[in-house]
Amino acid sequence: MFFWKKIKDRKPKGKGLDRLGTSLQTNLYWFKNDIFMDDASIIYRRFRSQPPHSRDCILIYADNMTNSDFLSQYVVRPFMNRTLPKGASGQELADYIMESVIQGDQVDCSQSFVHLSDAIARGLGVVLVEGCDYGVTVEAPGWDRRTITEPQAESVVRGPRQGFTENLGVNINLVRRIISSPNFKIKHLQVGLQTKTKVAIVYVETIASTALVDEVVKRIENIQIDAILESGYIQELIQDGPNFSLPTIGSTERPDIVAGKILEGRVAVLVDGTPFALTMPYLFVEAFQANEDYYNNWLAGTFRRVLRYISFLITTSSPALYLSLISYHPQLIPTPLVLSIAAARKNVPFPGFVEVVGMGLVFEILREGGVRLPQPIGQAISIVGAIVLGDAAVNASLVGAPMIVVVGLTAISGFVVSSIYDPAVLMRLFLVLMASVFGLHGYVIGVMAIVLQLSSMQSFGVPYLSSLISFSSQGMKDTFVRLPWWRMVLRPRYLGAKNRERLRSKSRSKSP
Amino acid sequence: MNLRVPKIIAILFLSLLLTGCWDYKEIEFLDFVMGFGVDETDDGLVLVSEMVVSTGTGQEAQLEPLVLSTMSRSFATATRALDNPAGMEAFYPHAQVFLVSEEVATSGVLPAIEYLVRGRDMRTTVPFLVTKDCTVEEVFNSKPPFLTSVSEHLANTTRLQSGLSIFYAQQIWEFVKDMIAIGLSGTLPTVQLVHKGKDMVPIVKGTAVFKLDRMVGWLDGEESQIFCLLKGLPQSGRFVMETQIEEERYAITYEFVNNATKISPKMDGDQLSMEIEVELEFDVPEIGAAGIDFHDSAIVRSMEEQLAHYFNRRVRELITRIQGEFNSDILGFGQLVRRKEPKLWRRHADDWDTHLRQLRVNTEVRTKIVLTGVRAYPLIPRR
Repeated sequence: MFFWKKIKDRKPKGKGLDRLGTSLQTNLYWFKNDIFMDDASIIYRRFRSQPPHSRDCILIYADNMTNSDFLSQYVVRPFMNRTLPKGASGQELADYIMESVIQGDQVDCSQSFVHLSDAIARGLGVVLVEGCDYGVTVEAPGWDRRTITEPQAESVVRGPRQGFTENLGVNINLVRRIISSPNFKIKHLQVGLQTKTKVAIVYVETIASTALVDEVVKRIENIQIDAILESGYIQELIQDGPNFSLPTIGSTERPDIVAGKILEGRVAVLVDGTPFALTMPYLFVEAFQANEDYYNNWLAGTFRRVLRYISFLITTSSPALYLSLISYHPQLIPTPLVLSIAAARKNVPFPGFVEVVGMGLVFEILREGGVRLPQPIGQAISIVGAIVLGDAAVNASLVGAPMIVVVGLTAISGFVVSSIYDPAVLMRLFLVLMASVFGLHGYVIGVMAIVLQLSSMQSFGVPYLSSLISFSSQGMKDTFVRLPWWRMVLRPRYLGAKNRERLRSKSRSKSP
Repeated sequence: MNLRVPKIIAILFLSLLLTGCWDYKEIEFLDFVMGFGVDETDDGLVLVSEMVVSTGTGQEAQLEPLVLSTMSRSFATATRALDNPAGMEAFYPHAQVFLVSEEVATSGVLPAIEYLVRGRDMRTTVPFLVTKDCTVEEVFNSKPPFLTSVSEHLANTTRLQSGLSIFYAQQIWEFVKDMIAIGLSGTLPTVQLVHKGKDMVPIVKGTAVFKLDRMVGWLDGEESQIFCLLKGLPQSGRFVMETQIEEERYAITYEFVNNATKISPKMDGDQLSMEIEVELEFDVPEIGAAGIDFHDSAIVRSMEEQLAHYFNRRVRELITRIQGEFNSDILGFGQLVRRKEPKLWRRHADDWDTHLRQLRVNTEVRTKIVLTGVRAYPLIPRR
């Protein structure tokens, strides 16, 4: 986008490119031959207003970004059917055009080339009139959108089947349709010097703490980057450190999750161009909560939640435990098992460490290879993985059969906590390294190091492990367990919500 | 970066140096000892160990036992010397059983068990047995009918103690605890070889009685049953007793359901005596052709009296052997006296052996039939 630089370069030279002149010819010249030079997608529609005193007008817009039917019907036609006031110019004329001619919802005017060219690039129509040094912008969005579908990565058995799209307005509406209250607030910001990406901060005014909202706004306003292509950019730029560990900002594609989180007092950030919304603060327990926990029976939700914690332990620890048991503490394995593991490893040429790291790596490669492939080729990958690497590797004595079991168990349980899959892989590797050097002692030290690090982390001022280490009954109600709704009377304390009451105690009806 | 993080990391890593057992061993280079034992020859002791050799992998994997032995002057050197014929490091923590031969037991087991207690990679939670009329090597070379490994066979058998009721199972630590206790002597179960067709099969039966660390005699299976009762071990063993029902004698099978034994020293003036009260409850799983109707309380009472008499006699016989023939305090009379009558014990501690021989022991056995299987009426064949 060269024009930005050019405009900036020429700015000090005076009127030249800073503001529109009264001559339509000159203004058009600058648009055509400088700002949008070599850009074939910009349409210049010439027309004349109704005589007498008919004036030359021009409508500039980007092809396929705008609804051209709307522009010709509600912009061009009224001009052709109407006489512009004689001798009017400047602000006066612009106001007349906005108030009496153009039949659109969002109309604005500007003198600045920068604003007008930005508007065209964003998909607005711009009307220039002979003798007027203002340009009038009309919003007429007309690009194609993806329809609202269920997100593939977060599908549910029970729950709404809507997912965010790439359109910010649609996404905000999806949340607003859930929280239909005037307390639902949206703050708009623009981030990205080149992309000028629209960002919306949404929260519930009567619940979310003002300090939290201000902090989020401040952090996003601080961002000075050329492009925001996905909410991940913002996530990495505003999240609390350290960045190699578990995420301190959540991301989701589901409006119901966003609504649930902001109703607890969190703040969500929606970014134009991506279906992934950010929620903050994001704590450790949230990685183990799923929206379905709250829709299904509370006992089932609790069971699944405990299952997720166990899976997290398995996926981070099982290779390290296996390694330390077979390499350092064979006396801790039950006798029949130790004999069969020893027999299975008899002809394996590698030490346990190489086997564990190697198989872990192979699995991650298989997964990475399969993720981005179309379905039919993906099946080929799984066949290669299952038969070639699993069965054949054991038969060829490259790895022991117990190792395949460990890798399989690790992988499957990793998918159970998919939102923290990647951090879990890194933790697993760290623990394997510790276990390979120091056995079980190393494993325990590694776990201690991880726990220490997690307890020192914060997300927007909230301790990362809060509610796991507080033993108040209201604090624990939504961590390891999911208590029934009639027991979750208050919102979580650690979010500092203004209004903590979530449910009136008489809400539960019973048969007399 | 401030110095806090490096400091924490340094402390974490330094704490590793404080840990004791840190030893890198790849599992496939270990030779898992399933069971081991000590024989004695004129030149020194012989360590015999049963290893497992695995052949094939995956589903075809087979574990073959392999018996190796090595002669050495001490047990600790023998455990290392064994690595040489094995070609791999012998790994003892998975051992299932530890045996000593009759000769070793008679000349004192202390040299054989000291390393087990002191050694770094030994476990004392292992069943401990004495071989009778055979060497340890012969036992390990015998052929148990189901399991390939003799050690596994013996370890499983010792778990059946309460049902078999013919030996008193001991683990190494239990024997050591009794051996070093004041006023108590240890016992060990014995393993013997019996012919089953062409093969020799090891069976566990009877008890070896120790005094200090030397074996002084044997109890047979039936005496071991009484010994278990007096030790207060829960029993579910069965035995047959000739029982007089009205005019006839029948061989009726009884099963222990419950036993409560109380041994207490009693002072009568200056005279010390031991009071043994045994309370037994029985099930009657089999009455043969006796045709007893258990609703007849007179018959039941007569059976209970006969049982009391029978056990009283057997207890007295056992105590006579312990006092006279073995003169070994395996029932822990000395320990009880020391606890209850410490003054008296201090006077007699030095010549307790003599006192034990002359100690007056009163026995009282109370019996009760509490169960009759699931049937109270007899099976009577009718025309």
